[in-house]
Amino acid sequence: MTTKKWELKDIIMMAILGVVFSAIYLVIFDGGVVLSTVLAPTGLSNFAFEIIYGVWFMAATLAAYIIRKPGVALVTEVLASVVELLMGNSGGVTVVLTGLIQGAGAELAFALFRYKKWDLASMSLASVFSATFIFCYELYYLNYIALDPSLLIAQLAVRFVSAIVFSGVICKLAGDGLAKTGVVKSYAIGAKAKTGKVYDEED
Amino acid sequence: MRTLNPAMKFVTLLCVTFVLAFRYNPVLNLAVFALCMAALLISRVKPKTLGLLMLPILLAAVGMFFTGYRFSADASMPVAAADFLVSNSQVWNGVAQASRVLAYAGVGFLFTLTTDRILMVKSFEKQFHLPQVWAYGLLAAWGVFPQAVQEYKRTRAAFRARGLSVFPVSPALMKPLLVKSVRWSEELAIAMESKGFSGEEKRTEYMEVRVHARDWLFLIFCVALVCVFSI
Repeated sequence: MTTKKWELKDIIMMAILGVVFSAIYLVIFDGGVVLSTVLAPTGLSNFAFEIIYGVWFMAATLAAYIIRKPGVALVTEVLASVVELLMGNSGGVTVVLTGLIQGAGAELAFALFRYKKWDLASMSLASVFSATFIFCYELYYLNYIALDPSLLIAQLAVRFVSAIVFSGVICKLAGDGLAKTGVVKSYAIGAKAKTGKVYDEED
Repeated sequence: MRTLNPAMKFVTLLCVTFVLAFRYNPVLNLAVFALCMAALLISRVKPKTLGLLMLPILLAAVGMFFTGYRFSADASMPVAAADFLVSNSQVWNGVAQASRVLAYAGVGFLFTLTTDRILMVKSFEKQFHLPQVWAYGLLAAWGVFPQAVQEYKRTRAAFRARGLSVFPVSPALMKPLLVKSVRWSEELAIAMESKGFSGEEKRTEYMEVRVHARDWLFLIFCVALVCVFSI
């Protein structure tokens, strides 16, 4: 458990989480579009996506929380974005780039804690960093720079809250829930968790 | 479009998107969007599929139009707004924001709708020197996807059979999926390793993905085109 080297099962775990989350991302994207359409005439449709923006950082923090090895957050987020591209997302080819930027934000936060602290604080910091990183990129990419600065600050604030709720709190709960079921026993998160008897599918 | 090398196509379209990101020109955006749609139809993408996919994008574009229209940056912006704004008209700002969404989506669909998924991973492995473990790990995970969908449907059906109504992305549905995901990843890893996969040996391939002259031509042509038009 002390090894920092990635094993094949870690890699496949990251890839599968990437697949599951990119499916969620696509569903959420459509939900966001519906919400933003409702808000369109007020000019506030950007907020529809800000409210749910945290969902896009979930893969990184959850995978890092489970596997707890350096680089996991970054790579999982990139993998999720590659799978999103494979599934035909509408954000275009740069989705891989956004994955890289968001993942780098989360990774930086975990690195600041030297990959030793795995709790709500480090996960929330990872989410906030992801949100900040991607916002800087969007200033240019989505030309947000041509929008009113006070609107942008409001957007960023909503995004922070969303990031902490979704990829901080919800991911933490999901990770702990998984640890309790005992399936993640062979990963760092499950090593210390108290579990009941684990029943296999075939039992 | 379908015969181009996926990795090269990816790089090309990424370059195009970047040029667009640093331009503030609705006409260019709309021209790129129109070209992408034309290229998609030439590559025999069904108009109906395309239309359905474009629906949310159009809605998003409308949303962006109103945002750009209502909240234009004024002269107090730290970055000289004059560099970005061709005119001060709010409508222009709205159109620019909306056309950007359309152009990005057009370029994105041009890639995803004309690229074979397995070929793409193989091409990334070859041209971007993606390590084998990643390439095959990704393909293995991709193979799990239909099962994940099945599992999701089964759980949902189980809830419905017991008369419980659950929200489509509720934790109650996600939890079994996550548990299964962990199990699948372990089982797949064991299966791959027990069949001799280590990711380090040199291997031969049944189908080599190569870069042809036409891929370079496509890259040069596309980048030149957007550069010329954006001046």
